[in-house]
Amino acid sequence: MIVNDLTRQKPLTAAQWTKKIAWRHAIGVLAVAFALFPLIWMISASFDTIGSLSAQKLIPLHPGLENFRTLFGNPDQPYLTWLKNSIIISSANAILQMFIGATAAYALSRFRFKGRKLTLMTILVVQMFPQLLAATSLFLMLADLGKSIPFLGLGQTSALIIVFAGGALGINAWMLKGFYDTIPSEIDESAKVDGASHAQIYFRIILPLARPVLAVITLLSFIGTMNEFLITSVILGGNQQSITLAVGMQQYIDGQYNAHWGPFAAGALIATVPVMILFLYLQKHVVAGLTAGANKG
Amino acid sequence: MKFGNKTPAIFAKIMLLGALNAFTVWCVPILISNKTWLFAIYFTISTLILDYIFLSKKRIAPKYIVPGTILLLMFQVYPAIFTGYVAFTNYSNGHFLDKETAISVMVSNSFAPVGDTTNYMQVAKDNIDGKITLIVQNTDGSYGAGTRDSFKALPTSDVTVSSDGQITKVTGYTTLSDDEIFAILDQFNDFKVPIGNERFYSVSDINAVELVEQNLSYDASKDQVTDRVAGTIYSPNNNGSMVSETGEEIEPGWTTTVGWRNFSKVINDERYRGPMLQVLAWTFIYAGLVVLSTFFLGFLLALVLNHPRMKSKKVYRTLLIIPYAMPSVLSTLVWAGMFNQDNGIINRVLGSPIPWLSDPWLAKFAVLLVQLWAGTPYMFLICTGAIQSLPSEVIEAAEVDGASPRQLFSKIKLPLVLMTLAPLLIASYAYNFSNFGAIYLLTGGGPTIISSGGIAGHTDILISYTYKMAFAAGKGNDYGLASAVSFFNFILVASISIYSFKKSRTIENMT
Repeated sequence: MIVNDLTRQKPLTAAQWTKKIAWRHAIGVLAVAFALFPLIWMISASFDTIGSLSAQKLIPLHPGLENFRTLFGNPDQPYLTWLKNSIIISSANAILQMFIGATAAYALSRFRFKGRKLTLMTILVVQMFPQLLAATSLFLMLADLGKSIPFLGLGQTSALIIVFAGGALGINAWMLKGFYDTIPSEIDESAKVDGASHAQIYFRIILPLARPVLAVITLLSFIGTMNEFLITSVILGGNQQSITLAVGMQQYIDGQYNAHWGPFAAGALIATVPVMILFLYLQKHVVAGLTAGANKG
Repeated sequence: MKFGNKTPAIFAKIMLLGALNAFTVWCVPILISNKTWLFAIYFTISTLILDYIFLSKKRIAPKYIVPGTILLLMFQVYPAIFTGYVAFTNYSNGHFLDKETAISVMVSNSFAPVGDTTNYMQVAKDNIDGKITLIVQNTDGSYGAGTRDSFKALPTSDVTVSSDGQITKVTGYTTLSDDEIFAILDQFNDFKVPIGNERFYSVSDINAVELVEQNLSYDASKDQVTDRVAGTIYSPNNNGSMVSETGEEIEPGWTTTVGWRNFSKVINDERYRGPMLQVLAWTFIYAGLVVLSTFFLGFLLALVLNHPRMKSKKVYRTLLIIPYAMPSVLSTLVWAGMFNQDNGIINRVLGSPIPWLSDPWLAKFAVLLVQLWAGTPYMFLICTGAIQSLPSEVIEAAEVDGASPRQLFSKIKLPLVLMTLAPLLIASYAYNFSNFGAIYLLTGGGPTIISSGGIAGHTDILISYTYKMAFAAGKGNDYGLASAVSFFNFILVASISIYSFKKSRTIENMT
């Protein structure tokens, strides 16, 4: 674009603005409307005391908190238990996934050992076979394991957490290795001279340096687990007390759109807002993480 | 920095290793007693390896890699391989058990009443061990005390009978009142007292038992089940069932390998071939259309909203990525509500009950529109990044050479951005290829393809189709068939990944 420094300073005339910029805003506003409408509609539904799909207005005629009360006061479909399960499973998984990935990546980045290339290659190949596609096998496998080890059986949150931990190495190790490679190895060397063991270098030097990246990875894993539906529903299945929010809310609204719409929207709102705020807060880092892959090619 | 004290770390290490070993010592015998050999071996070997690595001073790199690898092998690699195995079995409703268990269930389920004999019975509790015991008056007038495991005769003098024939007192036992019996009624569902000779007393009422006989018996040497009353002989067929000569099967069957049958079913059986081809085609088209549409909208928005003179770019960016920040499970369900035929906001605005989710073409459109909404923010973000890093010299040179804005777009910007983003676009294709939630939560895969017997739907992609084969209620949990289709899905996804790795040259970066 030929926009030299002189013209950049000059304010646009109204005519120029209309010609060059106005239509951009028009498109932007349209796009924003499309992007935001479901969220706005959800917020409106959650505060509309009529609580049904058919009677909802964009600006609720009778605003109130009735939907939230209905949502919390249903012992057969315990929303708060689902929320708690989701938070437990997602947090445990986010931390485990980050930690397992970060640990393996440290060795792959810093040590030269026999079988290192093979390990890297294996992780790459394993990634091609996502756990998601093996949901049926995981189900049969846990049905079998649960007979001997109850907490690794179907319907157990602990089983789900460990299944997800199994997928961890494939997800983050490569990316984190790339990041560790950018941390100069002189830092480790000087620590070694100071008498640090490999574990101390890892826990007290490398991990703190990688904190921003690890935070983003943890956040993305957290959101990913919150959103996971297939494996979660297959493993936790019908156990109302151990299912997550994603599975519970689907069961709650399935086939009951008109009757359950208001409370459903209220529940969706509660789950959406914190995740969205976190996401927008870490926006810059998340975007950097997303585009990291693009610059490689 | 000081790196002196290592004691807490050593202490933590020993605690963790101790816990691991305790777990293994506890669970391996249970696994062995349940004949879960594979896991018993795997747990033992893994624990030994971990002990060795963490107690050794030398094995530094494995300390960091092996724990994750052990989990990876068990929960990602093994399930993938197991999928391959299940694809060659008849694992499905009625074929869950191993042969031994299936036969014992068959045999023990085969009770039939002998004649029309009903005997008077009183429920009592053994005074010594508190066991629930049935005091039965035999047909010949003598008495016996029976539990699930045994039946022993009682001297008539031990039993006190009231004038109306009710047993009121038994030496050594405490009779239960009707109320007490009702409280534990569910214990009697399957209560059978063996009295020898394959005959049993089976509880038929709160104070009566019925004489029943086990009809089937299994002859291990001939591998046959015989119905002793009807005289029918059942032999195993190659699908894990006992079948008579006239083709009558006994429930349940067992799990067995069936060769390529699941695969040939998908390829040759008309009920599966048509729907399968349709689902397969839609999976490719769906993933392709999602990537294309989201990329183009995201790219256009990135171009339009990236003008240097434009204000509030950041505001647009923040607002536009909101769909990406919303939990997709919930937003997809919100969309399903908005598309609701009778009451959804979309039809209320349009003023007519359009069957968005139940018409084959409209449902496809709806699925694509929701993914356009959900996927555009990502594409917008990566395109913005790519546009901002376009080499400005190239663009300036083209402008000096008199390229029109359109040429600038189609000949310079688009190809450059596409080149940069190709690996991410392929990754996005692979992601959408098995984006279960996008389909299942909006349409449930529906509307149903009628010729598929109700399993496949017009918007089903491979992964939702397999899910329904395996888990849909009332459609016959066919894990074997589902695994065969999953297996196929694995191959397709792996091929896409290989292509993508080649494109992005990840392997060359492996230093």
